[in-house]
Parts: sequence; structure tokens; C-alpha cells
Amino acid sequence: MKKDKLKIGIYELTGCAGCALLILDCENELVDIFQAADIQSFLMAKSDNIDGELDIALVEGSVSTEKDIEELMDIRKRAEIVVAIGLCSMVGGIQGRFCDEKEWKENFKKVYGDIEMTHTKPIQSKPIDAYIKVDYYLPGCPIGKEQFLNFFTRMLRGNPPERYPQPVCVECKYNENDCLLKNGILCLGPLTSGGCGAICINHNLPCVGCWGPVEGGNWTSEYYLLKEKGFDDELIKNKMANFSGTKIAEVSEQLIK
Amino acid sequence: MNGENKCMNQTNPYLPEAARIVRTYPLTEDVKFFQVRLVDMEKAISFKYSPGQFAMISVLGAGEAPFSISSTPSRPGLLEFCIRKAGTVTNAIFKLKENDHIGIRGPYGNGFPIESMHGKDIIIVMGGLGAAPLRSVLLYCLDNRDIFGRVALLHGAKRPAEMILREEFFALKERNDLECYLTVDADDTGKWKENIGVVTTLFPLLKDINPSKTFAFVCGPPVMYKFVLKELIKLNIPKNQILMTLERRMKCGVGKCGHCAIDYIYTCIDGPVFTYWDVIHMRELI
Amino acid sequence: MKIVKLKKENLFSFLEAISEEAELWAPVQKYENKHSFQLIKDFSQIDLKYTRTILPPKKLFLPPTFNMFLATEQGYEEDFSHATKKILFGVHPCDIHGLLILDRFFQHVFDDPYYSKARQNTLILGLSCWPDENCMCKSTNTHIIEEGYDLFFSELENDYLVWIGSSQGDDCIRIKPGFFDEDITDEDIQIYIKWQNERDKAFQVDINFVAMPDLMELKYENPIWEKLGDACLACGSCSNVCPTCNCYNVLDKPLLNKDTSEIGRCWDACTLESYSEVAGGENFREKRAQRLKLWYTHKLQAYISKYGKPACVGCGRCASTCPVDINVQTVAKALEGKDMDTFWNRLSKEVTK
Ligand SMILES: Cc1cc2nc3c(=O)[nH]c(=O)nc-3n(C[C@H](O)[C@H](O)[C@H](O)COP(=O)(O)OP(=O)(O)OC[C@H]3O[C@@H](n4cnc5c(N)ncnc54)[C@H](O)[C@@H]3O)c2cc1C
Ligand code: SF4
Ligand code: SF4
Ligand code: SF4
Ligand code: SF4
Ligand code: SF4
Ligand code: FES
Repeated sequence: MKKDKLKIGIYELTGCAGCALLILDCENELVDIFQAADIQSFLMAKSDNIDGELDIALVEGSVSTEKDIEELMDIRKRAEIVVAIGLCSMVGGIQGRFCDEKEWKENFKKVYGDIEMTHTKPIQSKPIDAYIKVDYYLPGCPIGKEQFLNFFTRMLRGNPPERYPQPVCVECKYNENDCLLKNGILCLGPLTSGGCGAICINHNLPCVGCWGPVEGGNWTSEYYLLKEKGFDDELIKNKMANFSGTKIAEVSEQLIK
Repeated sequence: MNGENKCMNQTNPYLPEAARIVRTYPLTEDVKFFQVRLVDMEKAISFKYSPGQFAMISVLGAGEAPFSISSTPSRPGLLEFCIRKAGTVTNAIFKLKENDHIGIRGPYGNGFPIESMHGKDIIIVMGGLGAAPLRSVLLYCLDNRDIFGRVALLHGAKRPAEMILREEFFALKERNDLECYLTVDADDTGKWKENIGVVTTLFPLLKDINPSKTFAFVCGPPVMYKFVLKELIKLNIPKNQILMTLERRMKCGVGKCGHCAIDYIYTCIDGPVFTYWDVIHMRELI
Repeated sequence: MKIVKLKKENLFSFLEAISEEAELWAPVQKYENKHSFQLIKDFSQIDLKYTRTILPPKKLFLPPTFNMFLATEQGYEEDFSHATKKILFGVHPCDIHGLLILDRFFQHVFDDPYYSKARQNTLILGLSCWPDENCMCKSTNTHIIEEGYDLFFSELENDYLVWIGSSQGDDCIRIKPGFFDEDITDEDIQIYIKWQNERDKAFQVDINFVAMPDLMELKYENPIWEKLGDACLACGSCSNVCPTCNCYNVLDKPLLNKDTSEIGRCWDACTLESYSEVAGGENFREKRAQRLKLWYTHKLQAYISKYGKPACVGCGRCASTCPVDINVQTVAKALEGKDMDTFWNRLSKEVTK
């Protein structure tokens, strides 16, 4: 069943490039990856990049300039499958945490003053699915090595990637950690997509939500629980919005007036 | 059947057996027929199952899923499946061609208690993909025609193109030892000569039912059950003589993973065949 | 049954002698007052005064994640690497009852070789215990144990009374016959009976488990479930820590550039949203309330069909784990129509999703 190699492109919009770096960091497998697929474009790894038709485009970073929109639209046109990799691309990233246009403008001014951006116009940071249809999502900040290799191998065989429908608490319990939330520490594990191996809690640090919101998370109950444990509205809102910004705008509006 | 392990691998029920696809062709737009043979000939011949049982089929790299065995144990050697494209595993199965490798384990589930129905009348009501498990019952009855009383088949599909195995069923209409009634909800071809309407519109064609010696088999999409069951009750068929199969998510098929649980009933070992009487008592279904 | 006596100071030497060819696992303090069964390298780590471990012994027989076999087109290669020879010391009665339920479950109709092999390769050395505020085993009648162990150590003042429960247990005793005294005095018996009586009185939780199956049936449609569903975080922790939860998922993990997959298994939980999903995004138990009903059906009403008993062994782990205080105690109280609001009044009244 030999057929043409899959044509893959890896792109970076606005983000820290950590996800792309992680792919490069798969040292032992990198040769295999380049052998198994035809990597057409990967700015961080090679210079002879081609912008042609693609089987799969992996997009890292959020959309935060008009140039990002153009690039993203072009990618969508060329690629059969678009995969959002990493939190920025999926949810908008930390840079997307101000969900409200006005709030965003104020903050922009605070940081950059009144200067005009000449090369491209900055806009409020949004996940890529605010502009295009996304076929699959790979959560993480950055994505995980094992997760990426599993994804890559499945795609090579024409199978969709695994989903990450379970909260961090699952892996946290696999590792037999004592529950921080139960002990009155603000842990976002129950609201956050698992897959990271509960690495923070393994080191006795609470989950800050960096893999983005899990499907079906019960934000309401956790909010009231945290209130009961003595945390104030502002802190809860900040923590919840930090990584999950755009996707929980409604939730936080409902809960925290 | 229940309470004993009769699957192929007696020491590790999770290990599949290698099998190859002998024949495959499309039945409808999203359903394909697969004829499969275990690579180990001895196992292929000795594979014993009863109608209504299922097997777990695996494709390397994609995963595993349960499928009803559509062939009949009265024709050993080959196993047949009708598979609808639904997600990861089924998509991977759809890409396979003749002679490609798959993994099979089983058979699992209780199956229909067909052995205890000798001399009885049989009504088979199928809709859509419900034909997959019930074809096994039907072929079994036909292969052992003399040990059953009357045999009636009621088969419904949405449109003519969606009636799976239609040639096979049309051929049955020629037989005089079986009542075969076919229907479609709507005919978009203009060439359909059989009944038009939902499957329950076929019930008036069933004349002179002797309810106490009749067993009814029902399988189809969820909406169908409600109406078909009503008709069967109208015919006074006892609730414990109405048999149906239930579908749940299944990860192991052997009563361990918990995914098929309905309360404390495990569909994979306690079912998938239940009587209407059993089902009435399942809280989670109501 | 044969009962012998062991001096306390000889316990560790005895464990050392019998674990020469097997891994010794025993309770170790992992966090302040939170324990875990761990592989023992240094005997001073063992904490004999623990009450419960975060994860129950099931983690040794079916680890949270493990590989069942390698699959290729050429064949399948079984992997039983988790089923090493082990001695598990310090198991309390509730957990031994938990294992007896899992034994039954994993042998029902089909034998699960991954469980059975690991179980056969493990000796269970039980240890007596003292209840804390979450222990409910007296109510579930699992506070004493008659079977399911190879040796059981009951603590007296200076000695242990050692019950020998199996022929392998007996073999262990024979490795160090000098340590064991067959002469159990009247005084020893008096101390033991007194201890038993005092322990019985020390239980702080009393639940009428006998009434629970009926209450589950009668209150199946009661709005309390919605309320519980509002509070549940759908985190799955209750299942992961419960000694009688068995559910798991199967994963096909293809290896890069090889036509090989690792077929693995990981614990799953019916309280998670993804548990009852089927193709096309349908979900048989979309609401948290529906999922909790299944959980409590299994714990309070009935477990395996044709076996029929509820599966709670009263270990108290759900109580010490659930962040929002949904556990056998609070649910039982709710079913009995008692003070729901003390546990869930944090939820605003209008929340009903
Ligand atoms: C006893 C039994 C007999 C069946 N017989 C047939 C048959 O003859 N022909 C046929 O086409 N289909 C049959 N099915 C349904 C078939 O198993 C599902 O369509 C298949 O599991 C979908 O898997 P997937 O990976 O392609 O879909 P995905 O959506 O990718 O799978 C998601 C998960 O849900 C499970 N799942 C999804 N849908 C179902 C379902 N309806 N029932 C059970 N589990 C599901 C899968 O195991 C998988 O783990 C049967 C199911 C059962 C329980
Ligand atoms: S510590 Fe955090 S991630 Fe772990 S179980 Fe508790 S809430 Fe979940
Ligand atoms: S629940 Fe009972 S058996 Fe278990 S630790 Fe507590 S007192 Fe001991
Ligand atoms: S009942 Fe508690 S432990 Fe269980 S899933 Fe809900 S919140 Fe988590
Ligand atoms: S309570 Fe839930 S997780 Fe536990 S065994 Fe039952 S179905 Fe499985
Ligand atoms: S339901 Fe709770 S108390 Fe009962 S066995 Fe499970 S974790 Fe222990
Ligand atoms: S499919 Fe695993 S228990 Fe039924």
C-alpha cells in the first residue's frame, strides 16, 4: 500500500514558536518524520520552503494581525486538512485573554502607546477557527512530544488524531497525587483538557489551565467552590481567563458580574 | 450461551486472530459488505457462533469496534459483515481491499436463543442496518427450513437505494416457503414495485398469526422500535417472545471495560439480545 | 484456620526474608497524612499507622495505563510486564473485600488474563486498622475479613496475631519458623477481643446500606440527582480512587514508521463526559446527573448482573477525594432525605444545567 508521501506544511502565526520548537525537539524521530512525509514548509527547520498544495497544514499561533488573516486564508485554500496546534491557535492564547474589544484597545495603548503600526495592522488576538474551518485540534502549551508523534503517526496512516476529552484530574489521579483543590488551592484541573500528564500537580503546583478548556467542564460548580474556599471574584476570573480567554467569555460573564 | 466463555482464544480473550478480506463490495452509499476468512484454516472451520452474536474487528493503527456477524453458522468457513461508515475504525475498514489484513476476536454476546425455537413461527422485522444481525437469523431459518414453522420477513428502508442486500431479499420473494415483504419510506426512483410506507404499514399483510407460538425479531434504527413493538403487542405476541438487539459503546466485548453498561447489565455479555420484557425493566433506557 | 503470633520487632526482618524473590509493596506516606502503596527499598519508609492510600490496590493488578500487546500483521505479542511477582503488605479489610469483588468481576464469564496473572503473582498480607472520620466499612459489613488474604496481621500490644489464609501464606511462615509462636495465650485473646470491641465503637459514620438498593430504585427520578449533577465537576476522580471501579478504555498507539501498534489500556470513569459517547457525537449519558446515577447504582444498588450485590466496600476514598463532596456518605444522606444543603448550598439555586 505504498503511495505518495503526505505533503505537510508547518506554519507559525502569532505565538512563541514553542510548538514548532517542540516538533524540532523530537530529535530521535526527526529523521523518520522527514522521511515519512514531504515537509513542504517549516520555517524554523529549513529554508527551501514551497507554498503549494498541501495534504495537511499545522498552524501554530493565534491571529493577531491582518497579515495573519491573509496567511491563514491562503493556508486554508491550499490545504486539505488544517490542524490547529497549541493553545494560541486553538483558543487565542494568553494574548487572547482580553475577550472584550474595549479592554483589548485599552491594553494595547498601555503597552504600545499611540504609535501607528506600519507593516501590518494589529487586531484583537483570536483563535484560528474564528476565521477558518479547522479539522483537528492538538491542545497544549506547548503541545507534547508523545502527543505530537502519536498524532503524526495516525495522520500518516490516514486516521484522525486522538481527542483529548478528559480533564487533567484523570492523569493527576493516575499519578496518585493528593488533590490540591480539595485542600483549598486554586487548581483548574477539572476544567482543563488533559494530555499533559498532570505535570504541574506532579510537582505540587496547581493546574493553571495551559492546555485550554476541556469539553463539558463544569465552570459554574468550580467557581462556587472556589468562592466557598475564600477566593475573590477578580482572582478567579483572572485565573480562569488566563489561558482559556476567548472560549470562556460567556462563562465568566454569566458567573462574575 | 450466557455464563460460558466460548470465544476463540481461551487464554486471552483480548487477542485478535489474523484474518483476510475475501470479498467486499458496497451495499449502499455508506454501507459495505465484507466477507472475511481467518488466516488459520482450522480456526476458520471451527469458529462456532450463533445468530445475533458479534465480533470485534480491528484495523492496525485505527482501533477496534463491534460488528454483528451477518452470516449464518450453518455455512461455516467464512464470516460476513455489513458495515456502515461511522467514524475512525469504520473509515479505516472502508479503505481495505480484498486480501487486506484485519484482526478478529469473538464471537461475543448471548446471541438469539434460536435453538429453543424449533417448531415455532418466526417474524423478522428489520429496518436499515438492522438487517446486519437479522440476516444471520434469516439465513439460519432458511438453511434449517424444516425445523421452523412459518417464517415471515418484513424489511424497510428509507429509499430503494438504501435497502441493503436488496437483491438477496428480492430473490427470496420467489420462494414459496417464506413470506417476504419489502417497503421503502419514499420512492425517489419511480421504479419501486413493492410497498411504500414505513415498516409498520406491512403488518396488515401478516394474516392469522398464532401469537403463543410466534417469536418476533426486531432490529433497526431507534425510532423504529417504538412503532414496531406496538404492532407486535397488538398481535398479542408475548413480551418475552419479542427479541431485540441493543447497541452500546463497546471497548472489550467481554464484560470488563464497562462501556456497554445499562445500569448493572453489560450489553456485551448479558446481551446484545434482550427480550422486550427485559428492556421494559431497564431504567436507563426509559 | 491457623493463627500464630509474631513479635512486632520481627516484622520487618520477616518481610525482608520473604521478599527476596519478589517486589515488596507497602504503604508509604506520600503527603502529610496521605499514603500510597509503593515499592519498598528501605523498610523505614513503611508507615504501619496509615488509614487509606490515595489509590487502592487495584493499581498493582491493572495499572492506570499499560500495554496489553503489540500488534502487527504477522501476529500479536502479549505483554505481561506489569504482572511481576509481588508481596503486597498492609492491606486493610476494606481493600481485601474490594479485591474479592474485582476477582469476581474479572472472572465473570471471561477471565481477564491481565488481572488474573498479576493477582496470582501477588501475595496479599493484610493488616488491621483503626477507622478515621471517613471509614464506613462497618456499615458495609466489610470491616472484618474471612478470606482473600495469604496472611493477615492483627496488631496487639507487643505482637501481631497472624492469620494464615492460604498455602502460600503458610509457606512464608515456614521461611522463618523461629519468628512465630503457636502458643496464643488467654491474655492475647483478651487483648484481641477488647481491641475488636473498641474498634467497633470507634466508627464515626453509620449508614444504613441495607436500605440503599430500595432508595436508589425509589428515588431514581428524584430531583436530588440534578442537584448532584450541578455540583459534580465530571473529573472522574471518584472512579479512579474507588477500589471496585473497573472501567477502562482501549488505545491503539501506532509506532512511527513501523506497521506496529501498541494496544494499551487506561482507566476510564463513567463520571467523565466522554465515557458514553458513540459515533457522531451522540452521548447516552450527556448529563452529569445521569452519570452519577450509574455510579451510585453500582456502589449502592447492584453491580454485575446475576451477582447483584452493591460494590461499595466503605473505604472512604470517595469522601477523601471528591473536591465537591459528592460521596457515598453524602449521597446516602441525600437519598434518606437529609440535609442536602449542608453539602451543596454553594450552588446558586437557579443553576440547573
Ligand atoms: C453489538 C453491536 C453490533 C454492531 N453491529 C454493527 C454492524 O453489523 N454494522 C455496523 O455498521 N455497525 C455495527 N455496530 C456499530 C459499530 O460498532 C459502530 O458504528 C462503530 O463502533 C463505530 O466506530 P468508529 O470508530 O468508526 O466510530 P467513532 O465515532 O470514531 O467511534 C467512537 C467510539 O464509539 C464507539 N461507537 C461508536 N458508535 C457506536 C455504536 N453505534 N455502538 C457501539 N459503539 C459505538 C466506538 O467503539 C468507538 O470507540 C454494532 C455495535 C454493537 C454494539
Ligand atoms: S489537584 Fe487539580 S488536577 Fe489534580 S485532581 Fe485535584 S483538581 Fe484535579
Ligand atoms: S474503611 Fe475499615 S477496613 Fe478500611 S481502613 Fe477504614 S477501618 Fe480499616
Ligand atoms: S463526583 Fe466528585 S470526584 Fe466524582 S466526578 Fe464528580 S466531582 Fe469528580
Ligand atoms: S461506577 Fe462507573 S467507573 Fe465505576 S465501575 Fe461502575 S461504570 Fe465503571
Ligand atoms: S464508593 Fe467510596 S467508600 Fe465505597 S468503595 Fe468506592 S471509594 Fe470506597
Ligand atoms: S464492551 Fe466492555 S463491558 Fe461490555
